[in-house]
Amino acid sequence: MNEMKNVPQTSEDLFKFIDSNSISSEKIVAPRYSYWKSVFRVFFRKKTNYFLLGVLALMMLVSFVMPSFWIYDPNENVMNAATFNLSPVKAMKYFNNGAFSFKWCLGTGSLGNSIFYGIIASARTSLLLAFIVAAINMTVGILIGSVWGYVKKLDMILLTIYNIIANVPGLLVLTVLVYVIGQGFWSFIFAMTVTGWLGIAFFFRNQVMIIRDREYSLASRCLGTPVRRIVSKNVLPFMVSVIVTLLATDLPATISSEVFLSYLGLGMSATVPSLGRMIQQGQTAFMTFPWAFWPPVAVAATLTIILYLLGQNLGDASDPRTHM
Amino acid sequence: MLNCPMKKYVFKRILASLFSLLVVVAVVMLLIYSAIERNVIFQQDDIWNKRSNNDQKMYEYAQYQKYGYLSYIDYGSFLKQKYLEEYGEGYDSQESFATDRKIIQKPKEYLENASVQDFIKTYEAKGYEIKYLEPVVSKSGKVKKGGDAQLLAIQEKSVFYRLWDYFSHFITVETTKDVEDPNLTDRYVRFEKDPYSGLFALVGSGTTHKYLLYFDSSFPFIHQNWMHLNLGTSYTTYRGQEITEVITTPAGKMKAFPQQFPNQLGTGEFTNTAVDFHSRTYNSAATEAEIAQFGDAYTAYSMHKDGLSPIGVSFLIGILATVLAYLIGLPAGILAALFKDRLVDKIGNAYIIFVMACPSLAYIFIVAALGTQIFGLPYKFATAQSLGIAIILPVISMAMRQIGSLMKWVRRYMIDEMNADYVKFARAEGMSEGEIYRTHISRNAMIRIIHGLPWEIIFCLIGAIITERVYGIPGVGQLLTTALTKHDNGVIVAAVVFYTSLSLLSLLLGDLLLIKYDPRISLTSEGGGGR
Repeated sequence: MNEMKNVPQTSEDLFKFIDSNSISSEKIVAPRYSYWKSVFRVFFRKKTNYFLLGVLALMMLVSFVMPSFWIYDPNENVMNAATFNLSPVKAMKYFNNGAFSFKWCLGTGSLGNSIFYGIIASARTSLLLAFIVAAINMTVGILIGSVWGYVKKLDMILLTIYNIIANVPGLLVLTVLVYVIGQGFWSFIFAMTVTGWLGIAFFFRNQVMIIRDREYSLASRCLGTPVRRIVSKNVLPFMVSVIVTLLATDLPATISSEVFLSYLGLGMSATVPSLGRMIQQGQTAFMTFPWAFWPPVAVAATLTIILYLLGQNLGDASDPRTHM
Repeated sequence: MLNCPMKKYVFKRILASLFSLLVVVAVVMLLIYSAIERNVIFQQDDIWNKRSNNDQKMYEYAQYQKYGYLSYIDYGSFLKQKYLEEYGEGYDSQESFATDRKIIQKPKEYLENASVQDFIKTYEAKGYEIKYLEPVVSKSGKVKKGGDAQLLAIQEKSVFYRLWDYFSHFITVETTKDVEDPNLTDRYVRFEKDPYSGLFALVGSGTTHKYLLYFDSSFPFIHQNWMHLNLGTSYTTYRGQEITEVITTPAGKMKAFPQQFPNQLGTGEFTNTAVDFHSRTYNSAATEAEIAQFGDAYTAYSMHKDGLSPIGVSFLIGILATVLAYLIGLPAGILAALFKDRLVDKIGNAYIIFVMACPSLAYIFIVAALGTQIFGLPYKFATAQSLGIAIILPVISMAMRQIGSLMKWVRRYMIDEMNADYVKFARAEGMSEGEIYRTHISRNAMIRIIHGLPWEIIFCLIGAIITERVYGIPGVGQLLTTALTKHDNGVIVAAVVFYTSLSLLSLLLGDLLLIKYDPRISLTSEGGGGR
């Protein structure tokens, strides 16, 4: 009976008035999230990436801008046997009275050609090649991979083709293709892309299939969203990190393949400067004339490693799970 | 052992592999024989260079026929056949034979000749193309060297015909009807005691080889001459030789040692000779003395050599490199996983990035330079004193990439397994760390590594192409790279067959190993995919 007395009896005791300010304070305010901002925040958290980007930017700047000022002519001294296989010191003495010059700072090759200019022109070819091949492979691979993951009828046909190609060592396929298609910059690109997209498309198909069957995609489908829209809005945004990681392996792999094929004498035609050919020309006497051999090797190695590392790091950064 | 649906799966996989091989070889042949100019094979041909005019063209046709591009009949041999049928032996004394033969030298009249008309009619009906090479005459009216007129009927063989031809002769099995010698009446295949090994051997009479299946003391101890793989003929590098023979014939010096010829058996007499008695083949032109010495007409033989065959060299280096890679890569990967994010791991990571991203040439040459400058090892294979020293640098070069990829995967698998729920549970149960590693983590990680083993071998084989080139190793990879520069289409197709079948075989083995060692995986219910 005593307890009954303590219970408030009127409506004034049960309710109280509050103002609108305290309503908004109840809401949970999340920080604004921008995908690309987060990507770059995570990417630049690693200080080595500044350095890597700097080196790549310098290499690209030099190799794309400088060849228009420093024109590389491999045959400029071909008639003058005194200029063949000169060490850096001797080359600068011969051409520039011993004063430093960029052109001769790495000596001359077996035909009196400037190694430094050759490397710059070749690096340009390698980068151009890698970017064009990657662009074609990626575009075709992603487009076909997205469709492949979605259209069941295509699956059988493409899977059969993939199984046949994937069972054969990739470099062997490439070697035979380059041998058949012939030499030249664009034939080389053609050979690299004829089968190059297939692996990317297959990888993409698997990723698409995983995301396709997630609940929210199922919900979209139930609501009657067209396939095109599901692919572009639900699936593709999740693929950025996958794409960047794929690029990280595709770009160096293209440069390596070019080096491999040029070394076998199958690469691009003799008029196109290429790192692979410089390595091949330098290797016959790499003990006696090391300046004609190791610089192109070092440039090829640096380029591939930087592209690989940057790609890996950017791939990590573009994965939303690392944005915490 | 394998259960019934398993057998079905394996059977299906083998069929699928064969189908892959067929398609790949078909596409490669289609590409090579339709896109590559066929006359590039004459660029470095001395015989072709010495010949001129129509003579040179006839040589070209003969070579094209040899390499399966076409088949042709020349008017001369047609005429001989025709007269032989009509007049029998002594046909060449017929007056009309000489006039018929010489008529083609007169470009204005030859078409009116009855024999020529007969020739043209016969072969046009068979779908041949008639080709007349006019006589090449100098200004003075004399026929130039090699300029005699030629009349021939040519039938081009389509790529599809070539393909069919290639695969229908891909595997040949020796039978007792192989030897075409009417004097050989006693034909059999039976087991006999082999006087050279002391064991039994499958011996044939009427077959090309005498010893079809035999044992001896050299690796792989059991040998056969019964079935032959026909990979085609070499065009330019080994003019006209069988490629199977090229890649399996040992190089090096003769290896003579005391042996007994068949007629010395049981006498205690020995002859110091390098003859490989197991390689004896039928020789229809065997002399009496030879037959007395060998006991039968199987008197052709090859020699014991002290070197290795191209395929032997490639396999030796490939297997040694794989073994080395596992010896270093496995412990290094485990170490990196145990000390994750510590110095060991960071060094390991740097190494992995280096070999994954860099062109393989870069580290091959780094190994070559260090090995030759610091350790004084030979650079080129041919300059080395012994095989043992010559293969050190190539094996290390080839293992470099494999070590990197192994480290990467072993580390990843170990870390994955270390964070798995069952490991946490085992720890909660009170199992010691050592026990967990031994019975759980390493076992589960190993399963996946076993699956990758065949892939490693494939990478190794492909790596061998460039390694063999750099060090000048006479292996299959070297054969392929030389063939590419010399336009030896036969060898290129054979190399594609070789590498593709090895790759298919290793993939199949990888999946089978996975099923055998991982009870959780059954490939039959889903019917595909190994991972």
